[in-house]
Amino acid sequence: MNSKISRRDFLKASTAGAAIAGASSAVADPTSRPPGRRGSERVEMIATNCEMCFWRCGVLAEVKDGKVLKLQGNPNHPMTKGKLCARGNAGTQLLYDPDRLKYPQMRIGSRGAGKLKRVSWDEALDQFAGRLKEIKQKYGPEAVAVFPHGVGSGFFATLMKAYGTPNAAETAFAQCFGPRDVAYLLTFGRPVGSPEPVDLEESKLIVLIGSHIGENIFTSQVTAFSEGLSRGAKLLVVDPRFSTAASKANWWLPIKPGSDIALLLAWSNVLITENLYDKEYLDQYAIGFKELTDHVQGFTPEWAESLTDISASQIRETARAMAEAKPAVALHPGRHVTWYGNDTQRARAMAILTALLGAYGRKGGIFLPTKLKQGKIPLPPMPESEKGRADGGGDKYPLAAEEAQGLTQGLVEATLTAKPYPIKAWVVYGQNVLESIPQKQRTLEAIKQLELLVVVDVLPNEQTDYADIVLPEATYLERYDPPMISTTSKRPFVSVRQPACEPMYETKPGWWIAKQMAKRLNLDAYFPWSDPDDHLRRVVSPLGVNTSELMSLGAVSFPGKPYIEDRAEEDGPLFPTQSGKIELYSAVLNDLHFDPMPVYHAPEQPPPGHLRLIYGRAPMHTMTRSENNAWLDDLMPENQVWVSTKNASSLRLTEGDVVTLENQDGFRSDPIHVRVTERIRDDCAYMVHGFGAVAPKERKAYRRGTGDTKLITRVAVDPIMGGTGMRVNFVRLLTSEGKV
Amino acid sequence: MARYAMVIKTERCVGCQSCTIACKSEWNVPNGFARTRVPETGTRGTFPNLNTCFHVKQCNHCDRPTCVPACPSGATYQGEDGTVHIDRALCIGCGACVAACPYGARYIDPAAGKADKCDFCAPRREQGLAPACVLTCPGEAKVFGNLEDPASDVYRLVYREGARRMVSNAVAIGPNVYYTGTPEHLEVQAASFAPVPPRTIAPGYIWGAFAKKLVLIAVSASFAGQAIAFFRQLAVGEKRFED
Amino acid sequence: MNQQPIPSHPVPLTAEAATALEQLTIKKHDVAIVLLHWFNASVWLMELLSGLALIVAPAYRVMPQWYLIMIASAFGSRANLLRVHVALGLTWIVVFTVYGVFGYRNYLRKEVLVNEIGLDHDDWQWLRIRLLLILNRTKEALPEQGSYNAGQKLFALLVYTALPVIAITGIIMTFHLIGTAVVAWAMLLHFVAVGIVVSGLMVHAYMGAVFPEERPAFFSMITGRVNELFAYKHHFKWWKQAKIEQRHWQQEFHSTTPSEPKSD
Repeated sequence: MNSKISRRDFLKASTAGAAIAGASSAVADPTSRPPGRRGSERVEMIATNCEMCFWRCGVLAEVKDGKVLKLQGNPNHPMTKGKLCARGNAGTQLLYDPDRLKYPQMRIGSRGAGKLKRVSWDEALDQFAGRLKEIKQKYGPEAVAVFPHGVGSGFFATLMKAYGTPNAAETAFAQCFGPRDVAYLLTFGRPVGSPEPVDLEESKLIVLIGSHIGENIFTSQVTAFSEGLSRGAKLLVVDPRFSTAASKANWWLPIKPGSDIALLLAWSNVLITENLYDKEYLDQYAIGFKELTDHVQGFTPEWAESLTDISASQIRETARAMAEAKPAVALHPGRHVTWYGNDTQRARAMAILTALLGAYGRKGGIFLPTKLKQGKIPLPPMPESEKGRADGGGDKYPLAAEEAQGLTQGLVEATLTAKPYPIKAWVVYGQNVLESIPQKQRTLEAIKQLELLVVVDVLPNEQTDYADIVLPEATYLERYDPPMISTTSKRPFVSVRQPACEPMYETKPGWWIAKQMAKRLNLDAYFPWSDPDDHLRRVVSPLGVNTSELMSLGAVSFPGKPYIEDRAEEDGPLFPTQSGKIELYSAVLNDLHFDPMPVYHAPEQPPPGHLRLIYGRAPMHTMTRSENNAWLDDLMPENQVWVSTKNASSLRLTEGDVVTLENQDGFRSDPIHVRVTERIRDDCAYMVHGFGAVAPKERKAYRRGTGDTKLITRVAVDPIMGGTGMRVNFVRLLTSEGKV
Repeated sequence: MARYAMVIKTERCVGCQSCTIACKSEWNVPNGFARTRVPETGTRGTFPNLNTCFHVKQCNHCDRPTCVPACPSGATYQGEDGTVHIDRALCIGCGACVAACPYGARYIDPAAGKADKCDFCAPRREQGLAPACVLTCPGEAKVFGNLEDPASDVYRLVYREGARRMVSNAVAIGPNVYYTGTPEHLEVQAASFAPVPPRTIAPGYIWGAFAKKLVLIAVSASFAGQAIAFFRQLAVGEKRFED
Repeated sequence: MNQQPIPSHPVPLTAEAATALEQLTIKKHDVAIVLLHWFNASVWLMELLSGLALIVAPAYRVMPQWYLIMIASAFGSRANLLRVHVALGLTWIVVFTVYGVFGYRNYLRKEVLVNEIGLDHDDWQWLRIRLLLILNRTKEALPEQGSYNAGQKLFALLVYTALPVIAITGIIMTFHLIGTAVVAWAMLLHFVAVGIVVSGLMVHAYMGAVFPEERPAFFSMITGRVNELFAYKHHFKWWKQAKIEQRHWQQEFHSTTPSEPKSD
């Protein structure tokens, strides 16, 4: 399937690629593709994209005799341009990880014991299909909940939807960027999307509210960030912790956690009362300005000062800096924004501020996506469920009505309570439900009540020890997945994922598993394509892309129309809201009895002796996905809990001491080392998410550091769209003697 | 001819370690070691006035390297283009060069039993390719080029834009990795990573201090003894045998 | 002469008796020993020449720059030089290990441990008197010596101590055994042990090849035989033992073989 080519062919293809009508691809830079190991050996360079995180940077795999020798960035990729982060470079350590899942398995012991026996694919798939049929008969297809996440998840989502269940959710929505997508949809008529369309490189002032770019690594975002700073952009970071980004900032505002809305409202107040907003822009494009003006009257910097721990003068100074830089102010919408339960409103405040600065659709601000005419593979109509969704989306949470807006914790709840109806089976693909869904104690309870748990994964993480059937998927380097079609890049593009080598052991690509299941469930009609080549062709040919060119280059880009001035009538409305304008005042929210404009509500404070637990990312890891990677573990084998120097000394802790954390509900973490630092407020404790593996089969990751998920036993649910705010747990530090 | 150098743009570096891993995968650097790595400098100041950044640490291919004279077998040598190489065939892994490097840029590869370090990707450069770390860096923080080429970026950064060397009062051996950044960031890097005086390993010190002298004395004395005996023998003449 | 009694201690010889003795030769060294000796000599010489050319660092160096360049070019490259040095060293180790294993009974036990290294009372006297003789401080006669004199025994002792050090440190360096610190110390010990051997070797070479009195000894390392006068004078205890064995052999031979012409 994949196009195995020599360097000579690669060069030929890349120059020929430029001739495709309507597509303009970057001409490959010959100096950045090695012709071979140590020069004398010929290797094949296979272009694909990465899945070590979710950015899907372009990758070139150097392959010889079916073995992947090295990975590097694909210089042809219009967005990532040959750059590749530590995780991407370490992909070979996933491919050749001796701990990875190798063959299908079925449970023989009790749930969680991890006793699995090896079975054949036929046996496993027959069992899977058989059980699904049983459950459909006994309870109805809605009794199956699907947790599909990642590029290949589309096949499983299609499969299970065709099977008849409306219950599908991935943590991306309610545990990650759901709130901001809903908020920007309400305000501007579009969700933010991924990759985030933030024009960092052209910006004059970059504003990060909690974003920790530099520790959170998305390769091209770092490139744009560094480029922007290098061109003289100023940087304003609002974060209770002195992050890497803060270390480069002109202003670091160590905000009191949970008070961001107060700060955003105060900024809006300054811009409006001092007449610093982009009047022309708002006159032309926005409605609700009058309501907003009235609304923010009382939200002065002086009002915000005691709420945020940021001085009024600093609030004014930074507001004025934003005004001076407007409209080239890149107020980053953030990515993981499920913090305090009022996150949609906070994102609304950010959207409003963006609009006040005239930055939406403008150079240096938030740019507009460019539509691409993606091929839709015609499928028979999907069955409609009378029972409807079980997770509360669209019903209890009115603005989580779309299919892509599933609520994972809602499915957990439904499984536990059997309301609105029983959920008896879970099918999990590419998602670590025990670590990515908060309130792990509930997830474990729910799993115990399932009649069927099927996990399709690559590594033997904890959830595979609870599964009835474990299906080993081939890694991203060994499989075809649907191409990435990115509209939220300045130059929209299509990028391909094709195998660099044959699947190892008895692993299979997700598309094959889905198709095999479809056969057994008589759902072949929903998979009308015969093989990956066919699937790819159907998806990309409406774009005018030749699949073999795409497979040899890795990615093909198209001209973008990122700014308002680029757009014409045929590109559709600039602001596809109900009113066709930017809605500073949201009638939709008002009609649903939510605040039409954001209002500040103080978050609960930590009880005495407790610190608020906050968490984040590390540049060499992707949450729990990379925890067993030999090279990445070498860089960072465990996480640490950051506490301020003052806290440490009053608790008589020194650097490197081992502590256990206990939260407000009495749940305890595993032992973790302390990092004593000035870089964090006295009311917080911080750790990187993605450690503390409890699956002994992940030998390199086992028991290193601690997971934060087991401490996130409480969530603050966003009433608007069901997002689970996770920064509402409070911990105290216990030494080995038992208390501090 | 050529003098290769690198410039690190501190403000673009986020300490993501992509360079460390790209290099590791290119050159099979074992776990626990690195040819290039990017440690944090450690934080200075008190909340909320803080200063920290990342420092790229690797072989600097110094103008006057202290590792080259430390190597007993001459396995470490400096090329015409200024880059310092290790000839693995000549290296016995005694560690003298590791101790002699003021920047801690070297390590002994435990599997091969030989010294290893960054060589500016010499085999890649032979193919006309840039070093792996430079190409992979998401922040585009690493610039590589020839300081003797006025058209190169490194020339401009070093000679026109004030990119600075990481030197100290004790050690100024002409490192060819330069840094740009804010004065605060350069200062905090210097505070944590300024070069330390090179060490001679104990056996080398002993050899240099007195063992070599003792051996030379022993050999010379022995030789002198023979010479004296020889001349006496010539003077006395040979006897057939003694009675 | 073979009819005369074998003296138990050396007696002054008449000129005629001395001349007669000088005509006779007696076997001193087995062929194996001779071959091993020259194998040693040639390998050690090449190892020394190549080894000296391998030490380049100014702090460690012994030879001048032109020497280093000359030897390296002779071998093509310094890397080749090291390869040859290692190959020769390993060859030597293999040969001597084989010698040790197979020749233990015949050679190692008696030849080495007793003859070559064992210092008895006579040996210590010999050392004292020899030294005083050089300094012209005595008129004593040198005591009887065995197969090797005390000076030769000291040299053998030195070699048997230093060579294993050289060999083992060489192996440690070649295969990077135990750890880097150990390799570094091995390097130092290798150099020092070689220096010690070279010092002793110069005496040995002078005594063997240049010093006229010992000339017969030198030739004995080629032919395997030494003239009886030399043996009588310098290695009496060995000569005596050898003569007694020779008589026994002759008696046996005569008793079993008819009409053997009388050898005289």
